[in-house]
Formats: sequence, C-alpha cells, structure tokens
Amino acid sequence: MSKNLKDVDQELFRKLLKAVVSALEGKDCREVMKSIAESSVIPQERLSHIIAGMHRVLSEAIRIPTSILKQETFKEDLRELRIPEDFIIDFSSVVFGNRRAALEAASSQNDPHLPTLEEFKWRVDVSISTSSLARALQPSVLMQLKLTDGSFQRFEVPVLKFQELRYNVALILKEMNDLEKKSILKIQD
Amino acid sequence: MADVEVTKSLSGLLNGIAQMVYYNKREITEELLKNELYPEMPLEEFKALYEKMKGLIKSIATADMDHAQLEAFLTAQTKRQGGIGLSAEQAAALSRFWKSQRVRVRGSLLAQSRWEPSLRGLSWRVDLQTGDSYGNTVHRGPVALMELELGRDGQDSEFVCLEFDETKVNQVLKKMADIQESIDRIVCHT
Repeated sequence: MSKNLKDVDQELFRKLLKAVVSALEGKDCREVMKSIAESSVIPQERLSHIIAGMHRVLSEAIRIPTSILKQETFKEDLRELRIPEDFIIDFSSVVFGNRRAALEAASSQNDPHLPTLEEFKWRVDVSISTSSLARALQPSVLMQLKLTDGSFQRFEVPVLKFQELRYNVALILKEMNDLEKKSILKIQD
Repeated sequence: MADVEVTKSLSGLLNGIAQMVYYNKREITEELLKNELYPEMPLEEFKALYEKMKGLIKSIATADMDHAQLEAFLTAQTKRQGGIGLSAEQAAALSRFWKSQRVRVRGSLLAQSRWEPSLRGLSWRVDLQTGDSYGNTVHRGPVALMELELGRDGQDSEFVCLEFDETKVNQVLKKMADIQESIDRIVCHT
C-alpha cells in the first residue's frame, strides 16, 4: 500500500478512508467510490490497491480489543508498513475514535446469528362466547413477531402463559445485567 | 351391584366421557367403557346411560356452571319423570365430577375456539460470545437466546428460536408491561 500512497494528497486519502469506513459499517459505497475514481488523477489500479489495503488494516485493527492493541503499537506497526505519518493519524482516529463502537457492531454482524426481533405487535382480546362455551369471558393476548429473517410468527398467549413469559423476560434481563457486572469478564481483557 | 361399585362405575363413566370428549384421548372408546365398567349391562341400556351422561356433562360444561347453578340443575333433573330422571347417586357423581374437572374442562373448551397457534412454553439461555471464526477473542455484551414452543390444539409443537441483545430485551419487557396494564383494565371491569 505504501508505494501506491505516493503522491496521494490528504484530501483524497480522507475521501477514500471515509468510503472504506462506511463500507465496513455495511453501507453501500459504490457510488462514492465511482465518483472518487472518476475525479482522481491516480490510476484506478493503484486506487484499488489503496482501498484494499485500508480495508485490511482497519478490519484487522477493529477485531482486536483496544485493551490489547494500544494506540502506540498500532501507529508503530503502520510506520513499519511505511505509511506516511499524516495518514497514520487518520487511521488511528478511525480505530480509536468514536466510530469504533459502530464499526465493532457492524463487524459482529458477520458472525453467525439467530434471527432477532424486528417488530412486535400485540392485541388483547376477550372471548365473550364461543361455539363450545356460552360465556367464555376470557382475555388472551395475540402477538405478532416480525423477525429479521423476514418471517412472521403469530400466536395466542393465554393470560397465565403471558405471566410466565413476562416473568422470564424480566429474569433474562436481570441475568444479562448481572453478567455485565461480574468482574471475570473484565479480567480477560 | 353393590352401592360402592355403582358409584365407582358411574364416576369411571363420567371421567371416561370427559377423556373422550374434552381431552382428546382417542384410546378411550364407548366400547372400552362398556366392557370395563358395565360388562353385564345390556348394550341398549348402556347406550342410553352413556348418551344421557354425555348430554348432561355437555349442558353443565357449556354453561360453565358454578356450584349453585349445578345444584339447581341437578335437582331439576332428578325430578323429571318417566325413566329419564336422574337418580340420587347419579346426581352426586355428576356433582363430584364437575367439582374436580370444571377448570380443566373449561380450559379445553376455550382451547377449542383458539385457532392461532398458542404459546405452550419457552426456554432461554444467556450467552457471551468469546470468540469468532477469525480466531479472535471478542468481548461483546451478553446475548439472550430464546426458544418459543408454539402449537395448535391437538397438533405437534413448532419451535421458533431468536436472539436478543440487552436493548431488545428491555424493549420487549416494556411492551409486556403495556400488555399487562391492558389486561388489568379488563379484568378490573369484569
């Protein structure tokens, strides 16, 4: 990457860096890349090398927790790769700056996941009378979940089951809170 | 037949009818009840008794009678003339049967008018991701995995698995509080 970065000015470098960061965040940056390539005097092949290099440097750096990868070490490593000093500062501000959380979240999207909840709608019904029961007067909850895999789940929850569900969701939240407080997780960093 | 035997056979019959009609136990049949409980009774007579009891349970169940309603209903039935009236033993057996089965029969009748799959159970666990396929150690917040067991009445369950981060769990819990409030409003008014 270093030899391709020769006579790249900081303005172009920052434009490219911005585009790569948004790509890492999962955004579509084809249009931006295209307009950079069209307006730049640097040949497209060199631009491709630079972009690929930036992508590699950033994605590797984001995967290592900040507690392990210190900023100085990171800068030192880039100096070894013969990256110009001005650019090192820009790289560093991405990896250790306030974009970090968003980048980490985006990179975790690549790990295998179960679908999660996208939308949760509900309705409370009271059956007044049915074909088998003259006076039912029984409340029940109808829930509709839209999951991130695009599927819909619609189901009825009798009141007793609803209490159970609510209790368990509260319990899960408590467990998650407790887990975050526990120090074992911090020691490992 | 001794009195104890009569009572036993009667409550056996009532429970057998409940198993067949309300609890979907297919292995219980009219023939089985006849052979097990009334082997010596002529078939015609058994059929009449069976139909009578089935009809009475249906009336009691559809109206979801409370204790006072049931007593009034049974008294009226015992006073009927012409061989269709209820004997004192039969009335007592019906009363005992209903006392023990009312909640369950009502539950089964409610389920019969439930057409969406209903929530049968849930299990969950809370995980922490500690690594990924790139061989890195990762430190992210805990993840809750939840498995919902859903099924229509009389059918096998389906399982839906989903995951939540803490924010999502919090959001769901807030919605649950809204639902609870909504239920409470109705229950207070009725």
